[in-house]
Parts: sequence; C-alpha cells; structure tokens
Amino acid sequence: MLKYIISSVFTLLMTFSVMAQNDSIVNDSIRYAQKYGLRLGGDLSKITKTIIDDDYTGFEINADYRLSKNLYVAGELGTEERTKSNEFLNSTAKGSYIKGGIDYNMYKNWFGMENMIYSGFRLGASSFSQTINSYTVYSTNQSWPQTTNLDGTEFKGLTAIWSEIIFGLKAELVNNIYVGFNVQLKARITEKEPANFENIFIPGFGRTYDSGRFGIAFGYNVSYLIPLYKKGN
Amino acid sequence: MKYFKLSIFILLITTVIMFSCEKDDICAETTSTTPQLILRFYDILDQEDTKTVTDLIAYGLDDNNEVVVFDDLFITTTDSLVIPLRTEVNFTRIVLHKDYDIDDNGTPNDDTDDIVLGNTDVINVTYQREDVYLSRACGYKSVFNNIAVSIDSDISNWALNSEILIANITNENAAHVKIYH
Repeated sequence: MLKYIISSVFTLLMTFSVMAQNDSIVNDSIRYAQKYGLRLGGDLSKITKTIIDDDYTGFEINADYRLSKNLYVAGELGTEERTKSNEFLNSTAKGSYIKGGIDYNMYKNWFGMENMIYSGFRLGASSFSQTINSYTVYSTNQSWPQTTNLDGTEFKGLTAIWSEIIFGLKAELVNNIYVGFNVQLKARITEKEPANFENIFIPGFGRTYDSGRFGIAFGYNVSYLIPLYKKGN
Repeated sequence: MKYFKLSIFILLITTVIMFSCEKDDICAETTSTTPQLILRFYDILDQEDTKTVTDLIAYGLDDNNEVVVFDDLFITTTDSLVIPLRTEVNFTRIVLHKDYDIDDNGTPNDDTDDIVLGNTDVINVTYQREDVYLSRACGYKSVFNNIAVSIDSDISNWALNSEILIANITNENAAHVKIYH
C-alpha cells in the first residue's frame, strides 16, 4: 500500500514539475505583485488511507504563512490511530500531534506563477496511548499449545518529540487552490516508552524501526490561500 | 522521457528502502525467545559426576493425562534433556521414560499386542510465568521464575532426587535442574 502511495506521489510530482516548466510567458517589463497570506489545507493521503485501510484512521490540517519572498512559517495539526499486527503481536497506537517550523522556497518562478519547490524544517510533538490487543508467546518449540494473551493492556500518557526535514512541492492548480506533495525525513529526539513494550507507531511520526530513531513519511496536501495583501518582487 | 526515467529510478530507490525495512517484521532466529528447561542427570552415589540415562525419552502430560509428544526429542542415551514448558499455566508435568523399548511379542507387523517396556517417572515442575517484551516481530517470550521440582513416587522410581541449579529460567545457557539416579 505504502509503495503504491509513494509511486503515485512521485509520478504526480514529476507531472507537476513538467507542467510548471511548460506554460509561462516571460515578460520582464511588467511588474508582478505576489500574493501574501495564510494558506490552509488538509492531508488527502491520510483521508484516503482512512477510507481504504481498516487499520488506520488519520486526519491532518496544515497551514503556512508567507513571511517574505521565499520564507514561510508552517505547521500541521493532526490525529492518527494505527493498528499494527503480525502473527505474534497486535497493538494500536492512538493520539494527536502538532508540528511547527519553516519552509523555504528554492524554486525561481516563471513570471506570474507562485509555485514552490521547497525544503523545510519542523519540530513535532505527539501525545498518545498504545494498547496491546493481543500477543502470542513466542516459543520455538511448539509441542504445547501456543498461549495467546488478550488482556488488552493500555499504556497512556506516552509522548514523543522529533525533528523533520521536509522536501516538497506546491503548485497553484487554480486561483488560490494549491496541491502539494512532500517527503518528511524524521529523527526522534526524545520519547516516553511504555514498560515491557515499545512505541511501535507514533501519531505524526509514523511507524518506528528497530534500527533506530529515524522515520519517513509522505504527505499529499490540498490547500487554499486566503490572500491578505500583495507585494512586488 | 527524461522524467519517465527519473521516475523509474526514484521508484527503484524507494522500493529498495521499503524492502530493507521489511526485516523488522521477521523474528530473527538468533533472538533468545521462550527458554526451555534443561535437565542434567547426575550419579546418586557420586553427586559431582554426570551419569547417562539409557534409552531415555521424555514426553508431556496434559490436563487429561494425555501424552504430549515433544518436537525434536528422540529415544537416546544421554546425560541431559531440553524440555519445553507450558506457557499457559504455572506447571508442567513431564514423563521421563528410561530403557524405552517395545516388545512386539514376536509379531513385528502387528502392533496391537505390543508391550512398552521401561521405567517411567513423572516429574512436576511449577513456576511463576512472566512475559517479557522482545520486539515488534517476535512479540513476547515467557520466562519461568522460582521453579520447584518434585518427582512422583511410584513402585520403582529410577529418578531419586532433584536439585535446582537455576531458579529463574530466562535462557538456555546452562542446566537448570539436576536429577540424581
């Protein structure tokens, strides 16, 4: 599933970068005032995944505010619930998160266009709980019947803080409506882990890996710009 | 065409990344999971020396006294045995069957008149279970704390006494229980 989302994201990303370069007439003589304002949106990939994946529920709203020609303050607010299961362990993580930081536009637009290819930084924090729905005691010798425990232990009050580097694209599809894709590379700074268990999934961070503190996630956003004022280049 | 090639390249890279993540979902064979009980047989007369038990086979007894055959255990002459413990209750009943043989009454093709020979002793192992988290792939293992061992008395016990070497079974690095015979 993740592979499918990733491939769609990249295919679409390529399509948009082609579009961005094809149309546009260069006209240096006209001074064009760029729009400044608050851009509000949501993550469509989380909504899509909520619909198609029974083990996932997620919702995220995001916003950015343009400070200067290339600099934006940006943030996300969301909730996620994720059930992970295999033959031996079934657990659910549930909670909400907030992320804040900046986006820097690295793309030099053609005349009259306000697209972004950007890099950004975020600090994220999550408050969540984890529930062990069931586990089967792992025995290599299965002569005796296997023992499955359904006690449903819940670990509340878990937290995590992480940093993110974001690479992404935002393109103005029609007037003031933007679509965007981004890749988030994450590193946990600190986390509160449950006793005799671990954080399998952290809302906002995503799944964790045995290999260490790093994680990766993708976003597919649609947003609307509330123009507040215009300013020349 | 250039973008097409680039897309393929990026797709390949992400596939490799995704594939390399999959190892988290497989419980590595090297993981120390639920430990088994290790019995070591010693000489009752010279208690420092190990002593082999001839033609020994072990099997479990369930709650209905039905025989539970252990995987990977065969009739053998040995001075040690590795036995799986029950992870759903706080005890395991084990039959140690010495000098195991079958008298086929001179009819090798007819097993209805066969007689099982040998000397069976039943040992009871009791313990407190504790489930310890391993990893997302392996889940939990059970460890067995404060083990106690008793040998059922019968007409002709060959296993005469027992001694606990390690009371908390958390690994399979050394023998946990001595059986004297």
